[in-house]
Amino acid sequence: MKAHVSRRDILKAGVAAGVAIEVSFLSSAQAQLIETPPRPGPDWLKADGRPKYRLDAIAKVTGEKTFSRDYRARDLEGWPKDQSHAFLLHATRVDRVFDSVDLSLLGDDLKPDRLVLHEDLVADGVVIPVPGFYGDVFLVPKGQNPRLLGQPVAMLIYRDFARYDAAKRLLRFNDKVVRYGAEAPYSHPPHYGASRYVRIDGGTPDAEDRYSPYKDTVIFAGFNGDEAAWPKPGDGDAMARGMAAADEIRKDIDGAGADALVIKHQYFSQSVDASAMEPDNGNVWYEPSTGILHAMIATQSPYEVAEVAATLVSKSKFPLKKIDLKVGYTVGYGTKDHSIFPFFCIVAALYGDGRPVRLANDRYEQFQMALKRHAFWMDNALVIDRKTGKFRAMSGHFKNDGGGRANFSFSVAFVGATAAQSIYYLPKSDFSAVALASRAVDAGSTRGYGTLQSMSATEMMIDEAAELLGMDAIELRLRNVFKSGMKNTQGAIPAGALRNEEILAKARQHPLWTEKAKKKAAYEAANPGKKYGVGYGHVQKDYGTGAEAALATLEFDAKGRLSFAHVAHEIGTGTTTSQAIMVRDILGKAPEATEYGKVEWPQMPLETTDEPYTMAQAEEDKRKQNPRWTPTFTSPMSATNSVYYLGHATREAARTLLELAIWPAAQSLWSRGIGGGVIAPYSVRREELRLDGGVINAGGLPALTFEQVAAEAHRLGLVTGVTVHTFNRWQWAQAEFDVAGSRHKLPIDALAVKYGDGASADNKALMTLAGWQFVERASIIYPPTQRNNAGVTYYAPMATLAELVVDTATGDVTLLSHHSIMECGTQVVPELVSGQIQGGIAMGIGHALKEYLPLYEDGPGNGTWNWNRYELPRSADVAVWSQTSEILPPLSATDPPKGIAEVVMIAIVPAIANGIAHAIGKRFYDLPITSDKIRGALS
Amino acid sequence: MTLAMRKLSLTVNGKTIDPVDVPETMMMQDFLYEYLNLTGSRMGCGQGICHACTVIVDGDDGAMREIRTCITGAHWFAGKKVRTVEGHATRDASGAITALSPVQQAFIEHFSFQCGYCTPGFVTGATVLMDELKRKPVRRADLEKTISEALDKHICRCTGYVRYFEAVRDVILKTPGLVKA
Repeated sequence: MKAHVSRRDILKAGVAAGVAIEVSFLSSAQAQLIETPPRPGPDWLKADGRPKYRLDAIAKVTGEKTFSRDYRARDLEGWPKDQSHAFLLHATRVDRVFDSVDLSLLGDDLKPDRLVLHEDLVADGVVIPVPGFYGDVFLVPKGQNPRLLGQPVAMLIYRDFARYDAAKRLLRFNDKVVRYGAEAPYSHPPHYGASRYVRIDGGTPDAEDRYSPYKDTVIFAGFNGDEAAWPKPGDGDAMARGMAAADEIRKDIDGAGADALVIKHQYFSQSVDASAMEPDNGNVWYEPSTGILHAMIATQSPYEVAEVAATLVSKSKFPLKKIDLKVGYTVGYGTKDHSIFPFFCIVAALYGDGRPVRLANDRYEQFQMALKRHAFWMDNALVIDRKTGKFRAMSGHFKNDGGGRANFSFSVAFVGATAAQSIYYLPKSDFSAVALASRAVDAGSTRGYGTLQSMSATEMMIDEAAELLGMDAIELRLRNVFKSGMKNTQGAIPAGALRNEEILAKARQHPLWTEKAKKKAAYEAANPGKKYGVGYGHVQKDYGTGAEAALATLEFDAKGRLSFAHVAHEIGTGTTTSQAIMVRDILGKAPEATEYGKVEWPQMPLETTDEPYTMAQAEEDKRKQNPRWTPTFTSPMSATNSVYYLGHATREAARTLLELAIWPAAQSLWSRGIGGGVIAPYSVRREELRLDGGVINAGGLPALTFEQVAAEAHRLGLVTGVTVHTFNRWQWAQAEFDVAGSRHKLPIDALAVKYGDGASADNKALMTLAGWQFVERASIIYPPTQRNNAGVTYYAPMATLAELVVDTATGDVTLLSHHSIMECGTQVVPELVSGQIQGGIAMGIGHALKEYLPLYEDGPGNGTWNWNRYELPRSADVAVWSQTSEILPPLSATDPPKGIAEVVMIAIVPAIANGIAHAIGKRFYDLPITSDKIRGALS
Repeated sequence: MTLAMRKLSLTVNGKTIDPVDVPETMMMQDFLYEYLNLTGSRMGCGQGICHACTVIVDGDDGAMREIRTCITGAHWFAGKKVRTVEGHATRDASGAITALSPVQQAFIEHFSFQCGYCTPGFVTGATVLMDELKRKPVRRADLEKTISEALDKHICRCTGYVRYFEAVRDVILKTPGLVKA
């Protein structure tokens, strides 16, 4: 989940500075985003319609240009062939003012063709487009302290690669190049935010809550120094009452009697670098003569990049008429979502003398300036009834370090806090989240989004509590497990069935768990100096942001050729494959043509204020009367949103096409002939329709091919194409549309249709938008804005059992095996799901045991970090040949798919920590649990 | 400081590259990217750690070697026969792919990768391993260990190695002569 910082919030800042920019989706700058599509081979589907391989597999396995990083100007149609290259020089200390850069080392030959300093940007009106969110300056001004370690001080641009490469190698690691002036006290930006989620139930899970964020309010605070200044408790407004509820919980914890176990610990989860293999990069060409800015940038949030780039350039002296942004495939694990890096690329182009300029981090630079996962400090307390093993109350007070730019630090903090309950029902809970500013490299959206940190701590605490209670750790979990229909710590009821109980029951029966004592004794007897342990971790992770929007279109021609387009683009997870398979699952055949990253939707003339989190209910009620208004146009590729949320648009487009085209056309074919044809003697219902393998069946009627039905739909002039826009605020917007003489209620908020070749002149006349009719909705229900306080309502669970050995001499931990149990609704492409599990676990192992970045002077901002000293998990670390997993079968074939890209990496983290505790009898509260720490604990 | 240049000639994916002026300090990966427009061998770390950038050098004795292009100067390759990831599949005269290599085919069928950035290195590493096994087959019981030892140096951040390794095991077992009874 991610919330409360919308693009609109970002862009309002530009308006406030007096720059009149009409920002709606791709409007003023007419931005275009075009994906460069590697085409699959003709045989990517098996006979049964399942994929033989990923849609992008051949391009990737043969080394074709797929990543944004692979493209040079010569590869991009319409661009000049000559490519310039840029790199940045960075400040590695913040305790002195920046003075200048000394490039004498380069001599005359390797001097940059253009040196850009902060003062150049000031002269040209190039300013940070989103003050606060992206800091206040791109480059450190002369005479001022850097805002954060690793902040760029200068940009060097070269018109050829050879000189650029040689110069960069000469200057790298040289601490004489950036010259500092006098010492000056560093002051960090204002802290980024504080919020608190307090809930007291009404005596039972079903009863109305006495207090909850959803029913009442989230509590917000300012700062007094480095501490959050919470409102005073009282019986006045909702925040005061919330603080009174928090007080009550504190007293319960402090005053718990002998009949309760009170466990309190402080936990730390470290800052890490996501280490996406493709480092940040962009290639941008600005044509001063035309005012067109062409860009090819690696990003998970292309729409944000296009819009913010428009703001950035429009406010400068450089004329701007159009932004043409291309995005290739990329990977970022969240860190390429709302990063500042693309805007450095834009700035580079403005100083490129009309030539394309490429700015591409090497790995040192990537460590130095890419967004990091937040370090979290967590102060937890849990009260457990000794007799029943039931949790009475839990509190957790969390701080994270967001570094020197705000980015999403505040929402990462509160998302972490709202996830801290993990898989448990808590009658009373008080979780606070504080996002602090510092001189560290900025942290932002990174896989887990705060929940890896908070849920790992909870799961480590539960394991210790079970030990203190003398209870089996899975039994303790079962007694407290969150069940379907219960309320989360925000007071909201999550979507659908929560099946953690089933997972716990399976885990309790697993041989790794049932035989752990026996195996420990046997292993240790056979391996002196080695300690054997099994640990369990179990979490459920939300997916989505609370403002998820998407567009998808499906249409077929009279020959039955099916075309599909979607706003989604590929970030490695396989969405381009799974969206096509979702179409196949509903329409019985995969589309012959697919287009991803589609940005031009002339059939959807929507208007958006893009304030989905912050708009007041009254304002939204007014706005929604406009049938073309929507809370937000589309979402970035992030927050594990592809299969469920972006897939919802795909599925609804397919279902709507089924309803408006396939069923009536099939009925028409089956009704031919005297007396109503073959269908007349039967009573066949719509729900008997079956589509598979390109064949359409229903209730014993003759099979029809998709081509026959498509031809009939066109002959009759039925709807043959649909485009949908969807919106979710922890539930779906629903609207009614009048199409083809009847009213249809759909879980979408906008619809456009296309009629077939045989359509009436009247219907054809309606198709005025690039051959489409935008169908103005007859009614609309948006989820109430209060639902923003729900925090989250969609969860996917996973549990992992980790079997490990600790070498008591070296402190090294070796995973012998691990087994995971997950529930994800209906799997779309099982191979992609298991790949996610295996990859997520590897990343979690890195977080638990290996990956660590100091935050400040010795940290990544100093420019010396790379994978030689930042250890990533390798195959030898992940039990590559002995890991297993199972996935609960869906309750029925109608279960929707659940987003799992983040949850898969979390459970292994506490599982390892708990396994180490089982192995050596020592608990660790700081991650990662390195060999050094273990040796220290054992000595 | 002046940029010292030297002529470089080599064979890449079966094509002879005529002598070109290349800075003496330039790394092979940059030569591949900027001079030959072959961007498949990917820059991961620039330190020789992650092996995303590797290529095959075909020796005169017919044996393949896996070389890291991020830490090996372009001029080291002078006169050598180099195979990048772009040179593994069979292509027709127009450059269109007609058949993937067995390793490539195994990787796609096993859904071995997600983002695919590390894939060229794994294609290279697994191809070299198969070449080694041709000359020196292993016992079936040692196969998993052999694969682990050969490919552990390759870093993958998305799929956790399992599907790469299973694909390699699969293609080795399917290829006659690589595994002893």
